[in-house]
Amino acid sequence: MTQTMNLDDYLAQGGVLTSPGNVPPRYRGELLRLMSSFVDSELAASAGFADAINFAPAIKERIAASRITLEKADHAERVLAVMADFGTDSRRYQQSHDWAARVDREADIGAARREGDMRLSVFHYPIAGWTDAVVMNVLQGLAAGVQMTELTRVSYAPLAEVFREIAPREARHAGLGLEGLAALAESDRDRVQASLGYWHPRVAAGFGAAHSARYETLRRFGLRHQPNEVLLARWETLVAEHLAAFGL
Amino acid sequence: MARFHPLKVTDVRRDTRDAVVVTLAPRDEDRALFDFTQGQYLTLRRDFDGEELRRSYSICSGVDDGCLRVGIKRVDGGAFSTWANENLAPGVEIDAMPPMGKFHTQTDPAAERQYLGVAAGSGITPLLSIIKTVLAREPRSQFTLVYANRQINSIMFREELEDLKNLYLGRFSVLHILKAEAQEIDLFTGRIDEGKMAALFQHWIDPTALDTAFICGPEGLMLAVAASLREHGMRDEQIKFELFASSQPGRAKARAVSQQAATQGNGTAATVTLDGATRNFQMPREGETILEAAIANHMDAPYSCKAGVCSTCRCKVLEGEVEMAINHALEDYEVRAGYVLSCQAYPISDRVVVTYDE
Repeated sequence: MTQTMNLDDYLAQGGVLTSPGNVPPRYRGELLRLMSSFVDSELAASAGFADAINFAPAIKERIAASRITLEKADHAERVLAVMADFGTDSRRYQQSHDWAARVDREADIGAARREGDMRLSVFHYPIAGWTDAVVMNVLQGLAAGVQMTELTRVSYAPLAEVFREIAPREARHAGLGLEGLAALAESDRDRVQASLGYWHPRVAAGFGAAHSARYETLRRFGLRHQPNEVLLARWETLVAEHLAAFGL
Repeated sequence: MARFHPLKVTDVRRDTRDAVVVTLAPRDEDRALFDFTQGQYLTLRRDFDGEELRRSYSICSGVDDGCLRVGIKRVDGGAFSTWANENLAPGVEIDAMPPMGKFHTQTDPAAERQYLGVAAGSGITPLLSIIKTVLAREPRSQFTLVYANRQINSIMFREELEDLKNLYLGRFSVLHILKAEAQEIDLFTGRIDEGKMAALFQHWIDPTALDTAFICGPEGLMLAVAASLREHGMRDEQIKFELFASSQPGRAKARAVSQQAATQGNGTAATVTLDGATRNFQMPREGETILEAAIANHMDAPYSCKAGVCSTCRCKVLEGEVEMAINHALEDYEVRAGYVLSCQAYPISDRVVVTYDE
């Protein structure tokens, strides 16, 4: 009645997979790696932003920081639930790292991941004060927006759906950051500039190496669609546009 | 981790020559665990001569039907589906994991939506659950089903679909596409491909009015229908998929009994395969895991937590013996089949052969 097809060809032609039962082993490994990187990054982002609640200068900002802290943990939980379908022990997973741990602010860890923890390297750096939190959130929020254009079309349908639910809320986090930055661009200009200088290369590193070999594997699996360097360039353009609007 | 619970078969009805519809009842204490959303599936397991097999079958009952029912079509050479077709009878118990899957959209009693379902063969099972639930819970919505089969007598749920058409007059329509049987209208003969979809959109279905499409079938059907829906303006988030993979792994082969018992010694000759490439290297018996050794030998092996929790680093031992320090992710049947968490696996024989590709 219907044509049968090998799964590699199916994926290469844009096919989607829908349950752990129809996922091939190598795909499984890369899918889990992708999910755990997201979960670790969100948990670390949430833990790091928790401090920003107390840096906040007023109630409105306090609520914004609380919302970001809360929702990033919620997003981690949603993706971890998809991992659990593959056997991940989600209760132990949450306890496997100190998500609030940070390196020294001036440490240079490059884009490398730290021992056993798959968070993006940017989430290993500590936030220093309210202005710094807002700037980091703007730059990383815009980066997340670019990454979401990839994540919302991953070929594992149950995960793509979770990302489609998450994407508008992540966009709102970036929006809250931009609101905050609009005010600080006037009132705390020097510190904004210093923080931009600090976070810009660290967020950029999160896009990964240009011409990455793993990208090719992920592309074949339908887990990626645009190479790192294209995403990075798109982020650079977005950042330049937004900062120009604030005269930065 | 999802656990298995016994379900009791309360009814078995033969639907076509090679498909049965099985009604299952959880124990009272498990009832809440088996509450399901339309379009979800159950994973059943059974032991075949010492090998555990697991198969997923979609639930075909509607959420408001008050029962848990799956359709099982016999697959040629399929140990599980053949057994189920021949041996399931009222009173038999079978282990199942609670329902899983996200092949559905939220229903809304006030909604006035147009749904399209496209199914081939046993791909009808989750769609039947969705159709029943949506038509019952959204009194103003309409559903069109395009259903492909070889011939009339292989159509699963044929009578049930007719009954639904009568129950929901004007809100539910079915277009049967038959591969091996000529019909009055040429369009309804053949198989579903992009050309067929384009013709359906021209004459029978208004693609611009559709809110959501559900597709369930094998790979080729999914690609063709999705491409056609996108071409007619539907966005990715409006298209829901459930893949009935044609290339599902066959019988889970038990691991070959090791020729070589664990031996005392210092080093191990390791052979590791990843993405079709194989490397041979020496590694120590202690202090280094298979994963660490693979990475040290420039293999981009997948891993994440390195704590035996996430299972990203799962690989299969084909020869030799390894020992896992910690395992919080793999189940017993996976371990019996030779899978190990490479971040926790230390070699204990002179030679080990592992692969990340199987």
